[in-house]
Amino acid sequence: MRTTVPVIVAFLSGFVMVVSFFFNPDRTFIGRAQDVVLQWVTIVSGFTLVLGVFSIVRVNGRAVVRRTEDWPFKLATVISVFAMAIPAMLPVSTTSVGGKIFYSILPQSWGSWFGTGTGSIYDWLFNFVDSPMMETMFAMLAFYIASAAYRAFRARSADATLLLLTAVIVMLWRVPMGEAFLRLFGDSIPDYLNTFIMNGFNVAVQRGIIIGAALGAASMSLRVMLGIERTYMGKG
Amino acid sequence: MTDPLFYVFYSVTHYSLNSSGKTFLLALGFCLYFSFFSFAQSPDSLNQHPPILTLIGDDTLDIDEGDTLIIAVSSIDLDGTIPLLTAENLMDSAAFIDSLNGQGCLVFAPGFEQEGNYEILLIASDGVTADSVTVAITVNDITVFRTSRIAVLVFMLIFSGAVLLYTNWAKKGKTLFVRRIPGIDAVEEAVGRATEMGKPVLFIPGISDIDDIETIAGLAILGRVARITAQYDTPLYVPVRYPMILAAGQEVVEQAYLEVGRHDAYDKDTVRYVAGEQFAFTATVNGMMMRDKPAANIYMGAFFAESLLLAETGNAAGSIQIAGTARPEQLPFFIAACDYTLMGEELYAASSYLSHEPLLLGGLKGQDFVKVILVAVIILGVILMSFDIGGWFKHLFVVP
Amino acid sequence: MGFWENIQHIDRRWIYLLVAIAVFFPMIVVMHFPIEITPEARQLYEAIDALPNGSVVMLTFDYYPSAMAETQPMSIAALRHMFSKDMKVLTLSNIPLGGPSIAERVTREIALEYDKVYGIDFVNLGYKANYVAVMHGLASSIESIFPSDYSGTPLRDLPMMKHVKNYRDIEFIFVVADNATVDYWISIVNAQYGKPVGSGVTAVVAPKMYSFVDAGQMTGLLGGMKGAAEYERMVDISGSAIRGMDAQSLVHLLVIFFVIVGNLGFFMSRGKDGR
Repeated sequence: MRTTVPVIVAFLSGFVMVVSFFFNPDRTFIGRAQDVVLQWVTIVSGFTLVLGVFSIVRVNGRAVVRRTEDWPFKLATVISVFAMAIPAMLPVSTTSVGGKIFYSILPQSWGSWFGTGTGSIYDWLFNFVDSPMMETMFAMLAFYIASAAYRAFRARSADATLLLLTAVIVMLWRVPMGEAFLRLFGDSIPDYLNTFIMNGFNVAVQRGIIIGAALGAASMSLRVMLGIERTYMGKG
Repeated sequence: MTDPLFYVFYSVTHYSLNSSGKTFLLALGFCLYFSFFSFAQSPDSLNQHPPILTLIGDDTLDIDEGDTLIIAVSSIDLDGTIPLLTAENLMDSAAFIDSLNGQGCLVFAPGFEQEGNYEILLIASDGVTADSVTVAITVNDITVFRTSRIAVLVFMLIFSGAVLLYTNWAKKGKTLFVRRIPGIDAVEEAVGRATEMGKPVLFIPGISDIDDIETIAGLAILGRVARITAQYDTPLYVPVRYPMILAAGQEVVEQAYLEVGRHDAYDKDTVRYVAGEQFAFTATVNGMMMRDKPAANIYMGAFFAESLLLAETGNAAGSIQIAGTARPEQLPFFIAACDYTLMGEELYAASSYLSHEPLLLGGLKGQDFVKVILVAVIILGVILMSFDIGGWFKHLFVVP
Repeated sequence: MGFWENIQHIDRRWIYLLVAIAVFFPMIVVMHFPIEITPEARQLYEAIDALPNGSVVMLTFDYYPSAMAETQPMSIAALRHMFSKDMKVLTLSNIPLGGPSIAERVTREIALEYDKVYGIDFVNLGYKANYVAVMHGLASSIESIFPSDYSGTPLRDLPMMKHVKNYRDIEFIFVVADNATVDYWISIVNAQYGKPVGSGVTAVVAPKMYSFVDAGQMTGLLGGMKGAAEYERMVDISGSAIRGMDAQSLVHLLVIFFVIVGNLGFFMSRGKDGR
């Protein structure tokens, strides 16, 4: 029972999506069914968010209570979760859900701090704390790429040498300074690189991988739909 | 369009474009309404010039059955008379309205049985001379079944047939050869090494949600890995980015421990929700890598910009690293920083390969069979197109 | 351990330091190298430029704030191009964090320069979860997916939206993205609904997109900050992408230098070992 029902649900959901693809949404319900199923997915995801909050609080809360190593950071994590979430969920005015009771206790001028609009606590935290941190993490890629290139790009074999040379040429071509340098050897060199490397070898390889991956995904989907692959639900 | 009344009329009627019958009537109503408010001008000079009729927009249009099309026309007569506008060859569900101010509109809302090509003649006449414009309209058939997608159906049937056929052969005991995939073999080695070192294994099932098939593949591999860690009693950490993966991952790991008879060793926090934001997730996992120094980091699923951040940190922490993703843009990063990388379809094959179950391997063989067909089709296409005789062949693969 | 072996095992923090210097240096010394236009970037520019003045175009902000350095200059240049041609711009985001607010802020800033009015010349639809469902839904009715705009104003109260009901009323879609949504704009909106789609993506994603451009499924492509700089040059503005090219040039050259030094170390230490 624990396996059969999920397999049936998986089969039906997948089947509806596949069949829906072949019917016109303007003329039949089955054509619109895939939109309906996708909306269900969104709704179910919303509910599981509670599970996520519960997990993050339990794992970090336990570390704080037990005073494990680095517990202040875990405490900061828990505080951050609520500092972002609670002000965003509070009513912004008396017309919001629960707003009348809320603003019978607190001054109405506080309304601009709540919700997710411009000037709210959520907005401020997002713009001045979260966003710069995200940008910093992404910017760190430049450092990591340099370090990985230094360590990994070795001309160990003929194909590794080819890869290395191609990478160097493309890196030169993709920046104005390098492109100016390449033009010293011939005005058409950047155009050749675009034609042969990016639109030639690159496109061929990308397509090969994309087609292979798409077939793999289709095969995996079929195995899931037919209940042959059940490991993802803990069986098999 | 310079007449303000006409502008209002045009705005209102255009608003109803692509709507169904109700808006057709609304549009018709507005046309009639303005026809009564726009008759102020009158002819006052001799009839020396023919009227000039101008179509506002293209003269070749196409529309789907069930939609509404509105075509506006404008006419002038240098003699000062207001031309009378009419339309010929009107089909069902079409009406032409002369606003009696030199402007008019054609409203057409084809039903579901009106597929075809139509030509309508729009005429402006001053009673003596006339000008005309022909509008060609193609009404596209909107069928219940999308026949234009039949190629996909055929492909799907061939694909499903091949997978089922090979699965059936495998079920009957036929031995199927599947080539060695070193990256997958390394998974077992890596877990063994972690056990020897007494260090944990870190597994990340990608950073996409459960609706991504790569995540499902990652979870399937997680099931296999969890079985090995349960047998060896090796700690396993599975940080996840989405609550749905948390629920599914916990189920997968718990079941794996249960099946090898080690349910007592299962910790509910093996799979833990870390953060919904991509880089907050990455920062937390990087912290785990540097603090706990896992012996093995296994990345299986959909990865994006964080791939190199994770893999480089894992490398700095001295872990053995195995990655698998179907995202071609992230493969170079994993290849540079990991010991083994599963590329594209290898990710989807990993779970079947690790299971050693003939039934699952049958699916892989079916997939390979279809790939051979596709390669043949591509070669044929290249040959036909090279000789400029492949138009029909290319058209077979156009799926609107 | 000899010099070349030391070089092989250099502390990676030295590499980080040199990269940081390469990024900071152009802020003090400005270098100007000519920015050449790639055919893909030109195709995108020309596709938008060929649209009649007043056309309705969609501009997506499918990127997180983390990728803003690469993607935001594309959005800004595109908005300047579109507003200069009096186009009606419809913006939306398939990213919950950052995308919608970036769209709101950037579009309003650029609109001010061109005296464009919200609701008449541009509208920000904001964000709705599940982008696959959103992309399908917009084909039948924008209002069914976004009953109100980002600020909560019902779409029926916005004059521009009276003429824009679904993809049919949109001439071109310019997707600026740092993630996989661009694949879906191609496989759903272009392939199934026939809308021309052009894109501006991060440099990491760009190589994959060449295959879509080559197949005619994508009308033009901007790849990374270089792509943004190319578009800025074509629109004739000096934006942050053009300014960022100096830093990017130096870092690329530095990485090439690292590769050469790393390989020298590899061969020299291998030679010493007599292998």
